[in-house]
Amino acid sequence: MQERTALPPQFDRPIMLGGLLAGAVATPLLVVLVALRVVGLISSPEVVFWMAFGVVLAGALGTVMLSNIVHAALALVFTLLGIAAIYLLLGQEFLALAQVLVYGGGVTILIVFGLMLTNATEDPIVSDGAQKPFAFGVGILLALVFAVALLGHHWPAVGPAVISGAEFGERLFGEYTLAILTVGVLLDIALSGALLIARPDSPEESAE
Amino acid sequence: MTHNYGLLAPEFILFGFAMLVVAVDTFRSQFKVGSAVLAATAGVGALAALGASVAMAGVHEEFGEILVVDEFTTFFRILFAATVVVVIAMSHEFVGKHIRHPGEFYSLLLLSTIGATFMAAARELLTAYIAIEVLSFSLYVAVSLAKTDPRSGEAGLKYVLLGGVASAMLLYGLSLLYGSGGSTSYEVLREAFAEQAGEASALTLVGLAMVIGGLAFKASAVPFHMWTPDAYEGAPLPITAYLSATSKAATFALLLRLLSGPLEPLIEDWRWMLATLSVATMVVGNLVALQQHNIKRLLAYSSIGQVGFMLMALVALSDQSTSALLLHLSGYLITNLAVFTAVIAFYNRTGREEIEDFRGLAETQPYLAVVITAGLFSLSGMPLLAGFATKFLLFQAAASGGYLWLSGLAVVMSTISLYYYLQVVKQMYFFEPSGDASRWRLTPSGYVLTAVLLVVMVIVGLYFGPLYEVADTAAGALFA
Amino acid sequence: MIPIENFLLLSALLFAIGFYGVLARRSAILILMSVELMLAAVSINFIAFAAYMDPEAFTGLIFALFVIAIAAAEVGLALGIVLRVFRERRSSMVDDASSLKW
Repeated sequence: MQERTALPPQFDRPIMLGGLLAGAVATPLLVVLVALRVVGLISSPEVVFWMAFGVVLAGALGTVMLSNIVHAALALVFTLLGIAAIYLLLGQEFLALAQVLVYGGGVTILIVFGLMLTNATEDPIVSDGAQKPFAFGVGILLALVFAVALLGHHWPAVGPAVISGAEFGERLFGEYTLAILTVGVLLDIALSGALLIARPDSPEESAE
Repeated sequence: MTHNYGLLAPEFILFGFAMLVVAVDTFRSQFKVGSAVLAATAGVGALAALGASVAMAGVHEEFGEILVVDEFTTFFRILFAATVVVVIAMSHEFVGKHIRHPGEFYSLLLLSTIGATFMAAARELLTAYIAIEVLSFSLYVAVSLAKTDPRSGEAGLKYVLLGGVASAMLLYGLSLLYGSGGSTSYEVLREAFAEQAGEASALTLVGLAMVIGGLAFKASAVPFHMWTPDAYEGAPLPITAYLSATSKAATFALLLRLLSGPLEPLIEDWRWMLATLSVATMVVGNLVALQQHNIKRLLAYSSIGQVGFMLMALVALSDQSTSALLLHLSGYLITNLAVFTAVIAFYNRTGREEIEDFRGLAETQPYLAVVITAGLFSLSGMPLLAGFATKFLLFQAAASGGYLWLSGLAVVMSTISLYYYLQVVKQMYFFEPSGDASRWRLTPSGYVLTAVLLVVMVIVGLYFGPLYEVADTAAGALFA
Repeated sequence: MIPIENFLLLSALLFAIGFYGVLARRSAILILMSVELMLAAVSINFIAFAAYMDPEAFTGLIFALFVIAIAAAEVGLALGIVLRVFRERRSSMVDDASSLKW
């Protein structure tokens, strides 16, 4: 019988606690959603939407509030993958795929690497600035302004249109060829720039 | 769908030479050539792009739905290409001493010019956004490029983080405008907003405010200016010059296209926003400049003050005020580049950048002192120099647009600016040199470049008619 | 059918949370992550508008694709700068980077 591998100590409590907490909050909400579906107040896609909604917002709140920087990065993954689900609900399979590949894969790994290369592993707890209450007020205000502006608008009651990948590609590489070329320039600048800046200069090089 | 790629010849030239510079840099050590060959390659590329832009003057053609090459685009193309030529010329000696990656330095300058030009040429939001990011990304990298100076990395960090937030704000605003107008094309948006004129929905207004906020950041208008002094101080000097020139001019080009095009029907809604920004910018920029003791920070705040003056022309937006703004932008660019060329020459010799270090420059290098004095006087708007004529027309345009109080304030602020410019002049002329009092000489290219800029500055100051006509034609393309 | 308001509400909340993070956090990497949240909100907006309001031209979809690409590049570039600053002063806190005075 293989012995159970011990988790690194910093993972023990917060993860267990977080899991229990998430379960405690999510289960009643799920029950409510299913009940609403059974009663017929909302449709099945809406059940999925509200689930994704919960995951995205919980992840986002975790990203900006958790004091352990590694946990915050993991919370971001939830948000980014939840957003892929949102894209699927909007009928955009290609973008959902891009979101999972670029964010779920690339960006997340990049950020985790960034954390590991700075001192996050030794000292993962960060304190927030003293301007926190002010930031909180601004955040609430922004949310209210946007919600009023967006929800107060008169929107036509139609469903989302599904745009086929072929159509999408045709327009992307037809009208927007130049935009793609320009983004190529931009990626070149960003990547060679990042390399140039982050690379430590060896003594020989500085002597040159 | 076929596009006429020939319309973009200057940009393809810039791109090709940017790649060539990197390639030459890679093989440089095998052929044992100095970094002068890189500057020469980049300079040839910029001159070729300048030539191509001049050759395309008078073209008025649309590139698909996304760009338009008209007199306005050509005006800014020439302005940006000329700026990059000057910046390359002024930076050669500096790069040799302080920059470890000269190839990337020059190629960044060339590539960012592509972004700046597309900002002036875009007729659609997506292209405009990508162009903004091409320019911003090059600047983030360029600001952090002085690897021997710890201030450079710090400035780059602040710039990239704040820039990211500003981009997100701008983008959210653009998405709201897209949702409200139903398209990203300037023309379609204009029609959509014309229907809303006078009673714009909350959605449009919030989007408008966020777009203006995001662009105000790029133009470093108060209260979105926090990054400017840090980026100016931390950046390598030629990049500081480039920041103060191309980055500002490109943002104003984009603003002009947006405000005179899709957002024109909403003029009553954004006018007061820009007027507020303009007042805050000129007051804060000029007053904080009074307390600076580092020449880069002084020039940073002085450039913020200048942005306040330029915003005035947008508040009183008309054909005439646009011409005045374009003229003022060109005059400001010439003057600013002259001052920076001189400051770089000084820095190359002494390695210092505090205002006190300019003590006794009139003794040790009288010619440089004259150039700096003329440049600073021109910035403050003294007669005979470019700054006076262009500022006069700008203030007049604002006043005749019904904003007399704004131009009155601008005149007061201009006078205040004279005070801090005079502080520098005082150090140069009324004090003995503190250290080594022996005379020194500029490099030959330093003499030539400063002399050319000085002469152009005086010519524009005395005889601005032809330049004004060019600016007027360019402005006419917007208001056709 | 899900009404468009649901998506817009999500994007509004997400943007506000991201903005809160930018203001409240001190670590450069956490600020960067908050900016990513804001950009994700932007993408949701663009895609929702394109799918509901602009299904013929769907420029919003293309916009969202470019936003995703550019945001990823921005993370790479910003992390490069963070690494450099960290190597120079062993800290990635924004207010430890204070040799530049306002």
